Amino acid sequence: MKGVGSMAVITVKKLSKVFKVKVKEKGLKGSLKSIIKPKYNIIKAVKNISFSVDKGEIIAFIGPNGAGKSTSIKMMTGILFPDNGTIDILGLDPSKDRKRLAYSIGCVFGQKEQLWTHLTPYDNFKFFGAIYDIPESIVEKKIEELRELFELEEFINTPVRNLSLGQRIRCEIVASLIHEPKILFLDEPTIGLDPVVKEKIRTLIKRMNKEYKTTVVLTSHDISDIEKLCKRVIIVNKGQIVLDDTMDNLKYHYLNKKIIDVKMKEKVNLDDVEGINILKDKDYNLKLEVDLKKKTISDAINLLNIDNIIDINISNIPLEEIISQIYKDGDK
Amino acid sequence: MKKYLYIFKSELMSNLQYIFDISIGFISYCILIYIFLNLWQYVYSDPSEIINGYTMKQMIWYVIITEILWMSLSGRKYNRKICNDVKTGNIAYNIIKPYNYVEYSLFSHLGITTLRFILVTILGIVLGFIFLGSFPELTVLSIIGVLISCVLATIINTLIITSLGLISFYIEDTSPIYWVYSKLILVLGTIFPIEYFPKIIQPIIKYSPIYAVSSAPAKLFVDFSLITFIETIIIQIVYFLACLGITHFIYKKGVKKLNVNGG
Repeated sequence: MKGVGSMAVITVKKLSKVFKVKVKEKGLKGSLKSIIKPKYNIIKAVKNISFSVDKGEIIAFIGPNGAGKSTSIKMMTGILFPDNGTIDILGLDPSKDRKRLAYSIGCVFGQKEQLWTHLTPYDNFKFFGAIYDIPESIVEKKIEELRELFELEEFINTPVRNLSLGQRIRCEIVASLIHEPKILFLDEPTIGLDPVVKEKIRTLIKRMNKEYKTTVVLTSHDISDIEKLCKRVIIVNKGQIVLDDTMDNLKYHYLNKKIIDVKMKEKVNLDDVEGINILKDKDYNLKLEVDLKKKTISDAINLLNIDNIIDINISNIPLEEIISQIYKDGDK
Repeated sequence: MKKYLYIFKSELMSNLQYIFDISIGFISYCILIYIFLNLWQYVYSDPSEIINGYTMKQMIWYVIITEILWMSLSGRKYNRKICNDVKTGNIAYNIIKPYNYVEYSLFSHLGITTLRFILVTILGIVLGFIFLGSFPELTVLSIIGVLISCVLATIINTLIITSLGLISFYIEDTSPIYWVYSKLILVLGTIFPIEYFPKIIQPIIKYSPIYAVSSAPAKLFVDFSLITFIETIIIQIVYFLACLGITHFIYKKGVKKLNVNGG
């Protein structure tokens, strides 16, 4: 487990949450039966998870749908009450000090709007300043600063309902930063955005993290978000943490595999070579997966014969593949 | 308190964008008042006649005021909003803000209601004057008194509807409960003053929240006296405190049951 130390701003210990979900047998008979004698299923959404996050970190908190990541985040922000375990956010317990904690954290939920759609971003920012009890002059200064950082000049006075999704998300993030939170929870901030706008949002999040040293907890199904923003990743599956490691370790060591794309002068037979898996073999083009625990890259190149190579490209396994493999392993 | 006033102001600003759309919605108000005008003109064969202590003009002004209060409240929409906040989990995103959801909803709804109240009051007064040619006897004190009572009535009514909406924490759909509440207000508090009901149930109505949210300000408008005013304000303050306590209680209990699924 990373991040344990005096700098920890989030410490979660043995956190668990159980949901009671009503179950109904099929058909009309089932519906009537469920009225008279309702049956419930106990869903263990979060099972005994522990981790901590240091100040200034950007961590990815990811997992497949229904893995328990949103439930965990909702407990960390004080929306849901845990059944077991403890959460310490900046020295506060979210289930007891929700209001006090609200002043120190910010949340952006990509699928929920917190802005007033009929007001302009500027009026919205003033509103958020007021609800966080920030003096007017400081709010003005903050808006000015964030307007520049997030490049909002063009649309700061346009009603939110007339903004594009990308512009709106930028404003949502700014609205969450008006009170200078120490921790920002970003739940799918780039959902539904086109690649160019996504890139822009990522750049702005990075810039904000650098400028204000804000700790960021990010959940996203977009692996590029994670790859480009986070140095550390926590993967949750079936309510448990299945991986908590640095992005570098995840990328280079978790699967210990590399991909070699090679164009040959002559065909080479690599069937049944231990540590090499042929992914594609078409004409003189080969795509190999090399297991570094069994074969080094130079061994693999020697097997191909260096004089026989016209062109070669060695790459890591795409992060997306690694992560889906971890998800699948967790399902077993 | 400052933040709640800002919530009120933001909602008011937001709704000012739709002032025309809001005004269109008051056509039904004009029709209603016209219907009651005809009804009471038919009941009162002689305009100087007094029935149950009310002249015809007083009766019509009474309905004008109770309808102003009801129309400006837009209760059904507000009840649905609270229900949806609970059902869709939107309430969760208010929980993590440094304000209380009950007060947030109250001030936000007062922001909308204030604008609607101003618009429908202008309309009601113009209609009343056109149809009846005169106002009841009014003084500066009585106007201020009626306005205070109207504000309290709206606050109490908003809190009651908030409570009804928050019952969504426990049951799937609260609209039937709201429907019953709105019909009670209509029958016992909007169309007829309490003097029109059998003597035996008059005290029940008088000390019920229906009187505090609807009949009381209208009665003050048509027949103001300092004693009635003080008595009304005391009843309204008691109801305000009780409703505030009950709404907070339901919210506090309910929010612990909150399940936010998905996403």
